[in-house]
Amino acid sequence: MSTAAWETVIGLETHVQLGTVSKMFCGCSTTFGAPPNTNVCPVCLGLPGALPVPNERAIQLAVRAAVALNCTVHPRSVFARKNYFYPDLPKGYQISQYDQPLATAGYLSFLSPDRGVVRAGIVRVHVEEDAGKSLHDRFARATAVDLNRAGVPLIEIVTEPDFRSPPEARAYLLTLKQVLQYVGASECDMEKGSLRVDANVSIRKAGSSVLGVKCEVKNINAFSYVEKALTVERDRQIAEVEKGRTIVQSTMLYDSKSNTVRLQRSKEESKDYRYFPEPDLPPLVLPPEWIGEQQGVLPELPATKRERFVSQYGLSQQDAGVLTAERAVADYYESVVHAGAEPKAAANWVMGEVLGDAKDHQEQLRVPAASLAGIIALVKGGTVSHQGAKKVFADVAERGGDPRTVAEALGVIQVADTGVLAQWVDEVVAAHPAEVARFKGGEAKLMAFFVGQVMKTSKGKADPKAAPKLLEERLAK
Amino acid sequence: MTEVEALASAKATATRLGKAKRLNALLTPTTVVRKSLLAQAKLAHPSGVLYGMPVALKDNICTLEFPTTCGSKLLEGYQSPYEATVVTKLKAAGALIAGKANLDEFAMGSSTEHSGFGRVLHPIDRTRVPGGSSGGSAALVGAGAVPAALGSETGGSVRQPAAFCGVVGIKPTYGRVSRYGLVAFGSSLDQIGVLGRSVHDAARVLSVISGRDARDNTCENRDPLRLPTVPERLEGFVIGIPKEYFPVDLNPGVRRACDRAIRALKDLGASVRDVSLPHTPYAIPTYYVIAPAEASSNLARFDGVRYGNRAEGATTLADLYQQTRGAGFGPEVQRRILVGTYVLSSGYYDAYYKKAQQMRALLAQDFRNVFDRGVDLIFTPTTPTTAFKAGERTKDPVAMYLADCFTAPANLTGVPAMSLPIGRVKGLPVGGQFIGQPYLEDDMIEAAYALERAIPGAEEV
Amino acid sequence: MSVTPEEVRQIARLAELSVDEEHLDDLVAQMSRIVDYIAQLSQVSGGENLKPFIPGPDAVRLRADVVAPQPLEGKLSDFAPAFREGFFLVPKLGAFEGAGEEEE
Repeated sequence: MSTAAWETVIGLETHVQLGTVSKMFCGCSTTFGAPPNTNVCPVCLGLPGALPVPNERAIQLAVRAAVALNCTVHPRSVFARKNYFYPDLPKGYQISQYDQPLATAGYLSFLSPDRGVVRAGIVRVHVEEDAGKSLHDRFARATAVDLNRAGVPLIEIVTEPDFRSPPEARAYLLTLKQVLQYVGASECDMEKGSLRVDANVSIRKAGSSVLGVKCEVKNINAFSYVEKALTVERDRQIAEVEKGRTIVQSTMLYDSKSNTVRLQRSKEESKDYRYFPEPDLPPLVLPPEWIGEQQGVLPELPATKRERFVSQYGLSQQDAGVLTAERAVADYYESVVHAGAEPKAAANWVMGEVLGDAKDHQEQLRVPAASLAGIIALVKGGTVSHQGAKKVFADVAERGGDPRTVAEALGVIQVADTGVLAQWVDEVVAAHPAEVARFKGGEAKLMAFFVGQVMKTSKGKADPKAAPKLLEERLAK
Repeated sequence: MTEVEALASAKATATRLGKAKRLNALLTPTTVVRKSLLAQAKLAHPSGVLYGMPVALKDNICTLEFPTTCGSKLLEGYQSPYEATVVTKLKAAGALIAGKANLDEFAMGSSTEHSGFGRVLHPIDRTRVPGGSSGGSAALVGAGAVPAALGSETGGSVRQPAAFCGVVGIKPTYGRVSRYGLVAFGSSLDQIGVLGRSVHDAARVLSVISGRDARDNTCENRDPLRLPTVPERLEGFVIGIPKEYFPVDLNPGVRRACDRAIRALKDLGASVRDVSLPHTPYAIPTYYVIAPAEASSNLARFDGVRYGNRAEGATTLADLYQQTRGAGFGPEVQRRILVGTYVLSSGYYDAYYKKAQQMRALLAQDFRNVFDRGVDLIFTPTTPTTAFKAGERTKDPVAMYLADCFTAPANLTGVPAMSLPIGRVKGLPVGGQFIGQPYLEDDMIEAAYALERAIPGAEEV
Repeated sequence: MSVTPEEVRQIARLAELSVDEEHLDDLVAQMSRIVDYIAQLSQVSGGENLKPFIPGPDAVRLRADVVAPQPLEGKLSDFAPAFREGFFLVPKLGAFEGAGEEEE
């Protein structure tokens, strides 16, 4: 199969859970992992007579997300009912938005692995509520329904079909996740279901400007499946067309176990959701000043921050990229620099020790920024070797404390005191007469051996920068 | 009232409800109501303005004391785990909840012949219908079993049965009373209303149940309605008589009763003038697009998954849904769900639903045009006929729909309206209707107070 | 007939209502009667330029984001038709079957 003859066209629909404590239309908790059907009430259970009341913070976070995605936020938008039957949809309809959504016409710039910086068009951002969960494997002869998730606030973000390869789509998603995390809208954790993506995939002959028939791909449950699922669907379409068949608009479900897609339903069976404006909710009216305020409280976004790190701290694009991948880390890095650490050294320490430690400890940045700055200063001043500083870091991470005090307690303070050093130098020279003779005879590289011996004798306490000087003086005699 | 008196009221109510049993108006067994009333009388708030007053509730209003069936087999025995806001307000005012009243299933109907638990008999003539869908509430008040009852309106379901049964029925402005706990039928039309043996009884209950509710976003953020005083005369009131409500073929008895009422209003000092509400004939078709559309969506939650009577032996999800709903919903409810689904479906949405919403805007404009020209209230017959015979209109759904032709416009436009008895024709009650301006129920109630005093509402015309 | 039997079957499927074939003709007749009646609206013009009429408040009232669930009397199992280990039960669905949007 020759993929080069074909152009892939991909659009993405992302559902993101907003980081509120209560649900979209009721006061139930949104905590993940609660026992089944314990975060429920008449509203999210869809009991007869219950009515929805929207969550202010959900709207606020949705607007912030929309603004961060450069959308036009509409001062007036309307809730709508999307009607269909499924056991985890308690009311038999989802409250969403249809033809008058919260925001439209935005874009997100991201770095494509194929073609540099790409601007993905965002068609719309709207708010809606999540459905519950249906578990098919819990019981042998029944499907189990848990409505804890029913009613959790979501935003749906729809892009134009602007992606030209599976890796490119993935790159966009990572950037989207980053932006939404920065803005505080969502955790965007695909494993926990706080970010879900459906894709529309079509192919066309390379060079054509006409869009092919698109197929929807659903059930992509992890970031690692995104590229795989899109690749499988693209390949399926190419294979179909190369066999002489035409693509029928369908919905495909991705099966991660077999890495295949299978038909869920074709267009003829496509759902008629009978959207109409939600009669239980008046229009959502947002004063323009309030929308402006949300723009005002937006933090510096990742791309801008990355550029600033490059110019302000003299970092490479790559390093700046690592440090700004997550806002918490970027803020931490800047605190370390503020506390007096030299930017490049701080960058190395954060990218190395700090992130390494965080990986093993639930992403916590355990060493306070001021303490890290202190550790870096100790190394700079020669008080501690780099190896010694790592030990101090590990200890402070575990038990806190002032870096200098910890260094002393650990015994890693390097000795540059000439008196003490001289003793060790004398010991080493006395212990290795043969090597001394060889050195005096012209084998200058034995200096490294002598330094190593001084370090050994001093149990690492000697300052390796001060030792050679004393050794030279002693050996010259 | 003292606790002793409240207990006496409870006992007497139970006795009267027992006597009215043959009407099939109360779904709660008399023994159960009696026990509950006595228990409630002991706990009721003695300082409440309705202390000791028994109020029956249409069975589409959620209560903790009794099941809420909505007149449907699908919900037979369903015990709501929460109560409606209006119930909390009634109890806080010391009222006694006197059981759940029979209704057309899910409030869909104009005769209460479409209840899953048998029809309700007219309190005066058992061969006739009490009207609907709040037929049970109207019959109980009409029979004197309770002084007041709550009903609900979507197209006239409080005023129409009130007119048929010779009692007062008030539909407040949309947004005046919380819908939280009212099982939804047509969400943009539904309002809880009050039936009472007098304007005063109905109005004081309305006053208690009205007012803001943070749990209902369609309920306006207003204080409860303040009860107006009974005026001596109606000088300064301008009352409009819309020609579209007095067609040439209007039932002569209804016309006589209305003419007498209009003369009385003039004698009370009101000025009366002719007005026009030109889009009135389109109210019923508009209603029968919007109400079923919203109902088809509101009733989707009745799927047998979380509550309700699930069909036995379903092995697939589709069977579960279709058998539960097919067996649980009566034919009128199913018809309306189908019509509603049809008018919302792609291909038909613009021609029906969108068009109906446009008509709604025209109907609202009709009322604004009249009220903006100095008219305070509109007076009309409540229904085109007196109570019809049971079985007379069940064959043709459209014939049944036409019973609401004078009431539905107020639901579609959200304005308040009320019916009070203005006479009898061959022994059957006739209702006269006031339609008021949004949130100006007091004008309407004052005029009704005055008219009630001026004419003998139970007199043959 | 303005509504066809096939349309009625299709609408019934969308509404998850079972329609038995022996009553289908009656239902088609009734539906047609109703649809013919409401179709008279299409003959009336005007209203396209009016603001849509929305009863009640003009704008939504938002709720503060606090955990304050509305209490439920009793337990879910009191009214649930099928309930086990905290879950509502329905007939078993295949992992990729059914009308749903989310497949677990």
